[in-house]
Amino acid sequence: MTTVGNSSSPDPSLADDQPLGRLALWRERWNGIQPRRLGLRTRVLLMFGLGALLLSMFLAAVAYTFTRSSVVNQRDRDSIDQAYRNAQVAQNELSANNPSANPAIQRLQALGVARFAINYRGAWGIGSSAQFGPDNIPVALQSQVIEQGVASRMITTIGGEPVLVIGVPLTVTNASYFEFVSLDDTSETLNSVQLSLIFAGFITTLAGALLGSLVASRAVRPLGDAAQAAKAIAGGRLDTRLEPTEDPDLRVLANAFNDMASALQARVERDARFASDVSHELRSPLMTLAASVEVMQGRRDEMPERAQAALDLLVADVTRFQGLVEDLLEISRFDAGAIRLNLDDLLVAEFVRQATAVSSVPSTPVVVNERAERVVIRGDRRRLARVVANLIDNARLHGGGEATISVTEPEGEGEPLGHIWITVEDHGLGVPPEERDLVFERFARGAVAGRRSSSDGAGLGLALVDEHVRMHGGRVWVEDRLDGEPGARFVLELPAEEVGT
Amino acid sequence: MVPVGTRILTVEDDERIRTAVKLALEDEGWTVDEAGSGEEAIELFQRSAPDVVLIDIMLPGIDGFELCRTLRRHSDVPIVMVTARNDTHDVVAGLEAGADDYLTKPFAPKELSARIRALLRRIRPISPGHAKLTFGDLEIVPDEGKVLRGGQELHLTKTEFRLLCELAQNPGRVFSRESLLDKVWGYDYFGDGRLVDVHVRRLRTKVEADPANPRHVVTVRGLGYRLQS
Repeated sequence: MTTVGNSSSPDPSLADDQPLGRLALWRERWNGIQPRRLGLRTRVLLMFGLGALLLSMFLAAVAYTFTRSSVVNQRDRDSIDQAYRNAQVAQNELSANNPSANPAIQRLQALGVARFAINYRGAWGIGSSAQFGPDNIPVALQSQVIEQGVASRMITTIGGEPVLVIGVPLTVTNASYFEFVSLDDTSETLNSVQLSLIFAGFITTLAGALLGSLVASRAVRPLGDAAQAAKAIAGGRLDTRLEPTEDPDLRVLANAFNDMASALQARVERDARFASDVSHELRSPLMTLAASVEVMQGRRDEMPERAQAALDLLVADVTRFQGLVEDLLEISRFDAGAIRLNLDDLLVAEFVRQATAVSSVPSTPVVVNERAERVVIRGDRRRLARVVANLIDNARLHGGGEATISVTEPEGEGEPLGHIWITVEDHGLGVPPEERDLVFERFARGAVAGRRSSSDGAGLGLALVDEHVRMHGGRVWVEDRLDGEPGARFVLELPAEEVGT
Repeated sequence: MVPVGTRILTVEDDERIRTAVKLALEDEGWTVDEAGSGEEAIELFQRSAPDVVLIDIMLPGIDGFELCRTLRRHSDVPIVMVTARNDTHDVVAGLEAGADDYLTKPFAPKELSARIRALLRRIRPISPGHAKLTFGDLEIVPDEGKVLRGGQELHLTKTEFRLLCELAQNPGRVFSRESLLDKVWGYDYFGDGRLVDVHVRRLRTKVEADPANPRHVVTVRGLGYRLQS
């Protein structure tokens, strides 16, 4: 490995790669630290919800403040009027130059005033309730009223109850009058206002979140459409396009997407057409070859031995070449999406027997269990026959001797029967688990070839099997033989239906 | 095996293919005339009166379809089309132009010989004592190879006639496509059902008063075809 910044690195691409690689690593780490990113929809929803919450909190606070001050003010004015009247009474009593405040207290009590306190010459006198005494008058208020002689009021809490304390300095020397007014009912009003504001805020937040979710899903819908279209394209429907839109913001996305899809389609079609054109071009020389070889074969006996051997090679490879071109053409049809199945209802047992009879090993035994005799599949008989023929070819080339075909209901398939299995078992080396998907790849060679090497085959046979079977709504896989002997077991699963006898 | 002097006209623009196919067919015992274009083929057809014509679809000038239609206007000679692909379009267009059968390139000349032999096969004799079969306004005289509708003679190709006779063997019975492919064209299980479908369509344009609502050659959905009065 070269180190970062080593400009004398013999391989410049490696040196260039290094910082990039490191960047990617950092990014990965960073992403690891970051909390999982929320989805766009969730984010918009949260944003709207939060916005609504803040807004409603602000509005509630403003509304509460205004309500509170107006309720309290109303109350204040009434109380202050009352307090001044009572203070007047007290002053009248005290101005008689009484040595104590008692006459004033008695006078007020007689008027029905209970919650008050009088400071007269430094001494306190209180009303009938001991609770409402000087101890509960805020010090700030006391100093303002008694020392500075300014009438003032303050809200405090006495015994858990909000109380308005009004202090009035009396014109009599050294005397002040304090009255306590319960704000209990006011606070009740305010409490209920508070409650309804909280409730309204909650509803608003909820509505905001809901709106957010609506807006988000509307905004995200084009993304969903694009995702679906992309999925469709990935699935092979290359002509999928996004609908043209009036929205200028979305038009950019839609146009870019459609341009990409068109470019992709053109490219895929060009590739597919190339394979198809090549195969077509090969057909004419192959036609000449096939006819000429047949003429020579008719005269094989007249040839010297060495020419016969050469002819045999020629015949075998012309046949193989022909098969390869056919396969290539068929697979290019798949790639171009140009396959149209010629569907018929086929009795699966009869079909497999017929397909085996025209394959390269017509003597391959076909075992059909009793129930499978009454099963019908819907398929393209010539294409499915190719599938069976290709599996037989595969067994012949890699399977070491004769294969066995069986037609059975799938393991563990209940009533009614929905599928049928056509299995081909051989006596070859089998396919190791890690290569079981690879054998269905086109021109599967590589590691697979090491074990399964053969002069012919490889090619497209099993890839075509896979494509054809998928086209018929079925699947194919390879596993070990069930009896534990060495060999491969190819299982073809096709949708099927049982018919009455 | 091959009737002596049975002439085949092969129409193919690729000289090497033409020569190789001619060599192979001659080995099988046929007499082969060659034409490199549609124009040449029409001229040769009038001079040599071949028993079978083999036409490649891709021809310069008059294409295979057009040549087929031209020949059909004057003759009921069996025609085998050679298509470059077995895509539905080419096959159906060829059959609708009047071809009796088709092969896809590259084919084995032996296979072509087998196809030609099947086309030239004599019609199976219909149960004796039935010199004439009548289905409503339709009259079939198998021994004379004649079909009349409302007393007027119809011009059927040999294959259309064979198809009609097969259906007439057992009036009212439903024939599956497979059995018709076997009986008329000599195909095994893997014959192409489109051969039957297109020939039935062609037959209807001739024997039916209203081909869109056939009264005689009736489709039985999912099973096949049958003939009725």
